Amino acid sequence: MTARIVRGMLSVWLAVSVCFFALRVLPGDAISAVLLGSGASAQTLQERRAALGLNQPVLIQYGVFIGGVLRGDLGVSLLNGRPVSTIIAENAPATISLGLGALAVAVGVGGAVGTAAGSKRFAPPAELLLGLATSIPVYWTGTLAMYLFADRLNWLPSGGAGSFAQLMMPASILGLQAGGAIGAVLAAGLRQTRDADYLRTAHAKGLSGAAVWRRHHLPNAIAPTISMIALQTGFLMGGAVITETLFSRPGLGRTLLNAVIQQDYPVVQGIVVWSAATYALINAGADALNGIIDPRIRHAVS
Amino acid sequence: MTQSFTTAFIPGSRRGFVMLCILVLFSGCIPAQQSASAVQATNRIVYGLTFEPSGFDPHLNASSELGIPLRSVYDTLVYRDPANGQFIPGLASEWSVSPDGLVYTFQLRQGVMFHDGTAFNAQAVAANLDRITNPANASQKAIFMLGTYERYEIIDDYAIRLILSAPYSPLLDSLSQVYLGMASPTALAAFSNERYQFHQVGTGPFQFVEYIPGDRLVIRRSPTYTWNPPFYQPTTTQSVDEIEFRFFSDPSSRSIALESGDAQIMGELLPTDARLLAGRDDLTVAPVSVPGQPLQFMFNTAQFPTNDLRVRQALLFGTNRDVIVNTIFQRFSPVAWGPLAASTLYYTDQVVGAYGYDPTQARALLEAAGFADADGNGFYDASGGDLEVTLIVPGWGFVPEVAQLIQDQWRTIGVRAVLDSAPSRSLVVERVNAGAYHLVAFYSFGLDPALLNDYFVTGAVNNWMNYSNPDLDRLLIDAAAQTDPAARAASYNQAQRLIMAEALILPIRDYINLNAYSRAVAAPSFDVYGWFPILHNLALSSG
Repeated sequence: MTARIVRGMLSVWLAVSVCFFALRVLPGDAISAVLLGSGASAQTLQERRAALGLNQPVLIQYGVFIGGVLRGDLGVSLLNGRPVSTIIAENAPATISLGLGALAVAVGVGGAVGTAAGSKRFAPPAELLLGLATSIPVYWTGTLAMYLFADRLNWLPSGGAGSFAQLMMPASILGLQAGGAIGAVLAAGLRQTRDADYLRTAHAKGLSGAAVWRRHHLPNAIAPTISMIALQTGFLMGGAVITETLFSRPGLGRTLLNAVIQQDYPVVQGIVVWSAATYALINAGADALNGIIDPRIRHAVS
Repeated sequence: MTQSFTTAFIPGSRRGFVMLCILVLFSGCIPAQQSASAVQATNRIVYGLTFEPSGFDPHLNASSELGIPLRSVYDTLVYRDPANGQFIPGLASEWSVSPDGLVYTFQLRQGVMFHDGTAFNAQAVAANLDRITNPANASQKAIFMLGTYERYEIIDDYAIRLILSAPYSPLLDSLSQVYLGMASPTALAAFSNERYQFHQVGTGPFQFVEYIPGDRLVIRRSPTYTWNPPFYQPTTTQSVDEIEFRFFSDPSSRSIALESGDAQIMGELLPTDARLLAGRDDLTVAPVSVPGQPLQFMFNTAQFPTNDLRVRQALLFGTNRDVIVNTIFQRFSPVAWGPLAASTLYYTDQVVGAYGYDPTQARALLEAAGFADADGNGFYDASGGDLEVTLIVPGWGFVPEVAQLIQDQWRTIGVRAVLDSAPSRSLVVERVNAGAYHLVAFYSFGLDPALLNDYFVTGAVNNWMNYSNPDLDRLLIDAAAQTDPAARAASYNQAQRLIMAEALILPIRDYINLNAYSRAVAAPSFDVYGWFPILHNLALSSG
């Protein structure tokens, strides 16, 4: 268990550090961008940078940043002075509700279509569906759905967040794509174990088809699917940039995109800390769950 | 919950039932964000904004977007009459400028209250100026708009003097803008800088209700507003009482939101979408010209071959701006001919028509400059290769599309254009500082041509042309210091013609704020700066 925590923290640290230095490799900074065309003199630019500590050597800035993270202080936005933790707290609920909505759609769609694709009978059409779900970009399905359900039929609002109706379209669009990946992994797992001896034995001892599927086939095939669900969940909790932008929703993805464009380093770093941490947490949870379902994994891990 | 929620239940009970089941399952994870605005005003509309600015504090932040709602939350000391651009009283009932242009004295209107009940007076003006000029507050725009402002002197409760270190005629223009709007000193004292943007208090026709980042900003009509400038018309039963501003950062979602009725007014449409919407009878497209510097490319005069006037002129002659405006901007934007958009103060139409599309003339000029195509590959030769110019191409404002057309057009005049794309503002600055470019695209907004000084005066911070001409310096510096309109007009007339005679820039198009509104509202009007709607006059259509 301790090893797992250390591993999780290491991966968070790595992700955050890579992000920190990658941002600073880019030329320019938020101050010159925001003051472009304002008439500010070169001296004013220098003073503003100095006030924010941007003129210090990168390694010192890195030390200050890591020290802050360890104390639970993610710093403040370079552009409006607001605490990064507040910005994350404001945007996380919208991202989490979109993520959970998408996850429900993904597990439902992925589970059903993946099961069909893993069977002998329905495999060809189901696989086609899964292929389409993963390969059609969200941008395209989203615009199409918006045109159809908001503009033509006027069933759902075109964007925004707060109500369930506003969640339906983006969650379905996003969930469809995640569901494609989940379904594909589930189908592969089911196919691999389909001809296993223990399943033939189970059938031979007279168990019904459903019972075999529930007690022997699915539990043996599901471990990679759970890992995939965890992967997708972590991905969704980091914020869905395109979906949030397209549907004009608040959220971490859209905030991250704006912060990257404006080179607002602390905000970008803070959201990466959040994403990496939730990612590590969810994966640890999935590992534990797999251990409960499949004793082989439990023994291998501990 | 809101209307959108209930309408989702209307067309069929079965879908409603399924949705209800899902709703019950998920009700726990939906944030409760229906707060203050749940009390619905009668005449309420949704106004679509585009990119969400990083901050909504007009004293501290710089975007044009913030002024769209907040122009109507704050009053300014002076206003500009939208009919003729003249200064008219706002919170200052009268003002005078000393003959040397160094002292501006304002008599303040009495009986004005901020939305929180604080009285407006000279101390309030002083508190606003203190906040804007405090270096620790790092104002991104307002502080620079004050120019040579040095300090204030309170004469009495309703009179204040602003003292400058050098004459600076754009001061009144600055004081008429939302960035120097008057905020309640009580609210400014009660909230830290990063919190104030959520609790803004002005004296304007609308009061600030709430701002939820990423989602919405709501303002509601103030019941006590009586100190309006004359162009604010009397309210009627049709007047809009509450406006919810929403952010539609994806351009294609803007026209859909408008068509589906999720927004009644939308700014910054894509020109192609606006062209399609223009054909509909339930929507009206309303283009508004934004004064300032048109979309243009500045020539780097310090670099071969654009250090040669004939080359710069040839590139101007070789650019077919009609084609650019017709295809990319769908004819919504007029062609720009000089350093100022036609809606800018002191603009002269004497530059119109200079350097109209003439590829023959362009080739003649290049040949006069000594270029020839010895290897016969269709491009003129220069230093062992083809005649090449590099364009820094910012990733916004349709510049990439414009640059591609230019690249194509210059092929006909034997010049190879290399496009150096710079997706962010800081990358543009970085490329310019590196110096290896011949043209860089730029545009800016503002009514007073004093903004040209930051670009064309020798050594100015944005003199990306690396140009220096004592005559032009004198014209621009004098014009910014003069207060006599006729003298300013004469100086700016000369300056604009000189800039084009020297072919320092390649103007492309005047910036157009491409709005559209649904038939639910009467035609919105905008102030002289082009970006800011006069929300006080906004009304539902009576049809």
